[in-house]
Amino acid sequence: MPRRGWVLPSYYWALLALLYLPILVLLLFAFNDSPILVFPLRGFTLQWFRELFATEALMRSLRNSIVVAAGSSMVATALATAGAIAFVRFEFRGKGLFMTVALLPLYVPFVVLGVALLLWLSTIGVPRSLLTIAAAHTVVGFPYALLILIARLVGFDRHLEEAAMNLGANYWQTLRRVVLPLIAPAIFAGWLTAFTVSFDEFAIANMVVGREPTLPVYLYSQLRMTARLPRVIAMAALIMAITLTIFFALVWLRRRVFSGGRAMRAIRPGPAGLG
Amino acid sequence: MPRQSRGRLWALIAAPSLWLVLFLVLPLLLLAAYSFRAGVGGALFRDWTPTLEQYRILFATPAFLRLLVMSAGIALVVAVLATLLAYPVAYYLVFRIRERAGVYIVLLMIPFWISYLLRVMAWKVILGEGGAVNSLLLSLGLIHEPISALFYSRLAVIVTLVYVWTPFVALPIIATLYRIDRALLEAASSLGATPRQRFWRVTLPLSLPGVIAGAVMVFIPTVGEYVTPSLVGGSSGAMYGNIIFDFFGRSANWPLGAALAVVMLLLTLALVGATSRISRVERFIG
Amino acid sequence: MIASFRRLAPLSLLVLLAVLAVACAKEKRPAATPLSPDATGTLTVLDWAGYEDTSMFVTFHRAYPKVTVSVAFGESDADIFGKMKAGTDACVFHPYSGWQHFYVRDGLVAELDTTRLSHWSEIPARFKALGQVDGKQYFIPWDWGYTSILYRTDKIPGGVDSWTALFDPKYKGHISMWDDGPGAVAIATYVKNWDETKLSDAQLAEIERMWTSQRPLNRFYWTGEPELVQGMASGEIWLAYAWQGAYNTLLGQHVPVAYAQPKEGRNSWVGLYGISSKCQTPDLAYGFLDEKLTAAQGVSLISSFAYGHVNPAAYQGVTDSNIVRALSLNDPTVLERTKFTPLVTEADRDHFGQLWARVKAAQ
Repeated sequence: MPRRGWVLPSYYWALLALLYLPILVLLLFAFNDSPILVFPLRGFTLQWFRELFATEALMRSLRNSIVVAAGSSMVATALATAGAIAFVRFEFRGKGLFMTVALLPLYVPFVVLGVALLLWLSTIGVPRSLLTIAAAHTVVGFPYALLILIARLVGFDRHLEEAAMNLGANYWQTLRRVVLPLIAPAIFAGWLTAFTVSFDEFAIANMVVGREPTLPVYLYSQLRMTARLPRVIAMAALIMAITLTIFFALVWLRRRVFSGGRAMRAIRPGPAGLG
Repeated sequence: MPRQSRGRLWALIAAPSLWLVLFLVLPLLLLAAYSFRAGVGGALFRDWTPTLEQYRILFATPAFLRLLVMSAGIALVVAVLATLLAYPVAYYLVFRIRERAGVYIVLLMIPFWISYLLRVMAWKVILGEGGAVNSLLLSLGLIHEPISALFYSRLAVIVTLVYVWTPFVALPIIATLYRIDRALLEAASSLGATPRQRFWRVTLPLSLPGVIAGAVMVFIPTVGEYVTPSLVGGSSGAMYGNIIFDFFGRSANWPLGAALAVVMLLLTLALVGATSRISRVERFIG
Repeated sequence: MIASFRRLAPLSLLVLLAVLAVACAKEKRPAATPLSPDATGTLTVLDWAGYEDTSMFVTFHRAYPKVTVSVAFGESDADIFGKMKAGTDACVFHPYSGWQHFYVRDGLVAELDTTRLSHWSEIPARFKALGQVDGKQYFIPWDWGYTSILYRTDKIPGGVDSWTALFDPKYKGHISMWDDGPGAVAIATYVKNWDETKLSDAQLAEIERMWTSQRPLNRFYWTGEPELVQGMASGEIWLAYAWQGAYNTLLGQHVPVAYAQPKEGRNSWVGLYGISSKCQTPDLAYGFLDEKLTAAQGVSLISSFAYGHVNPAAYQGVTDSNIVRALSLNDPTVLERTKFTPLVTEADRDHFGQLWARVKAAQ
């Protein structure tokens, strides 16, 4: 029975305000006419946005991050799909061990993972580069993608596979033409999660970075240089604006195209109605 | 298992297993092995005679052990605070907003789309000597000098970490609350329980395993945190992760750093093992 | 399957022999030939961030325009040493004073034939000596600078004349020390007038106690000069352990700062260039080192970073008054009162690092 209380709603909105406040305050400085981030504010300017696009190192690090995130998330999702199918459909003795190792990145502090990888790369003589960051991020994104896919496959009707094979398809064709298309939304969700994790990841990237930085690594190096900060904040403002736009576009698209949100529910196979 | 199935299984499991071994298992094993090395530094893995020297140094240095305990303490405070702050939000969204909760959740998550580093630095803008809080208090005449303890301090580390984690930990709590069988709540009502009793006697206890799992998900990464302390912690806000990072960077004492890392790893794994009886963390993803 | 394996075996043996032959052939050191202006090839240099710019080897580039200089980066002396030990393909590398003997001890650096350096005679003997280990010349000195206390003259009108100021409770919350164990130990030895290379356990314990009690006075430990510059410019930091580059930067920003002349003496450090013992292009390497010593290159270094150069003729080309102040170029006696960083054993360096970790970890 719905209660018309005011406590909980006020709490939610107050917390939300508190969450956004530091960000909004920070974003003020994207338009502030001063290179240092101190109050009082000095005046409105768009120069930081102009400088942002002119800063080659910043744009290059952004591009690096996108490439690394896209690459590592693709590999992570591909591996996770194969691993999830194996885990759900087959029985084998190492199942528990596989799961434990696969989920290890969730339980190991990133600083430990970072130094372990640093040590490893140094021992086998592989120089640090964007590739090493991507390899590290694949490991980090893998458990997320794996769990999403396992959850999806558990609810997947086995009979569909059997039917396809009865009709003459071999196992791999069945996978490719029946299973994969039907779990595609979950694959996409896994990929998106792994992408997000990689894009903003700093702790490990900082330790296995080579000559080319990713965006967080570049940001960190700039955080100590006051004159460069406003354009970095300008970029944060832009990223936020772009993401919000994409999100609202997706929401609008979903309402228009997918009636009842059935297809989107496949993305989050957990509690229906929250998605 | 029929031969055909075995072939398929191998084809599927080979790639992920190989990747995990190559980029996760072997590096961690190497880290552990390195911690038994006596040599001071360098990257070469030669002339290795196992020794407990690094562990001896570690356990003979009270400062390191106390810092580990302190870091765990900070992580605990952050986890508890974040969970307490997030619980009412989760409750509100699951039991009041229900079907429309999607948008509310997204609103909660949007700050995540700003770089974690910038969200941390945002606190410098708020708590720093030239920041919003101090400027406000100064202009109101409540203080005559900026309060420097707000920033570059352990307090700043805790505040920032709670801020970063609260929206994140709301998700597993939402998932847990959602899974509570409504029939149980209805049964409680029909047996005469008031809404308050219903919450304290049914909802909360049932949600506790999931809530603990969520708190563990905050606790573990926070114990090893080094980024936030390096940005906002100042001289006294260093955490255990910073010491590990230093030994692998500037000080170049990799064996000792490895030993410190192994000790922390064992601690976190033990904790996960202990709490996994109460709750399973991996339930919440997917 | 076994049949094809048998066919493969002799073939792989041949390939193996060929590879071994080539590998052994490469070991032979190429004979020394003078470098012509048309010289081509690639020279790999292991250097610090910021030194990859052509202004850092401008005369070399002008003299041998067809040679490509490829720069790999090290983040710290420990990192550079680690990379050299791990076997990087860098031919030339750039460590700083206090690390020379490690490279000699591990056979990573080749002894220099100074007759191949045409500008060697222009360098003062005092600097030449800094590149020697056990009397043999292994490195050329190149860049140098001071370490002293940088302070805001408007916040500390009385001035600073001693390293003890970094430990003064009067400045609580406004001090910034460099995040480095060996650096911290060095300063403590200046205050106590002890020998950095011969510290007893009791002395080390006292140094640790000094820095542990200093920590509550310290706002943050800076890891890079930009962080320090920002802290001083905003007024949050009143005094700090600093190199003269930060002094020069702040003067350029019109911040009221001064660079102290502590009574215990300033510290000075020297950057060195050496040729790797595994270098495959020694001609290019010698040309590179030679050109680094020229006065023209010195002017470029000084104007870019406000670092000193070892060739005194370079100072004539410096007109920027801030840089002259930063490097005390007008004070010929300053070097007499300066303590150069000594050679410290690896074990000691490690102990200093652990000491600093304990200082940071102390509760």
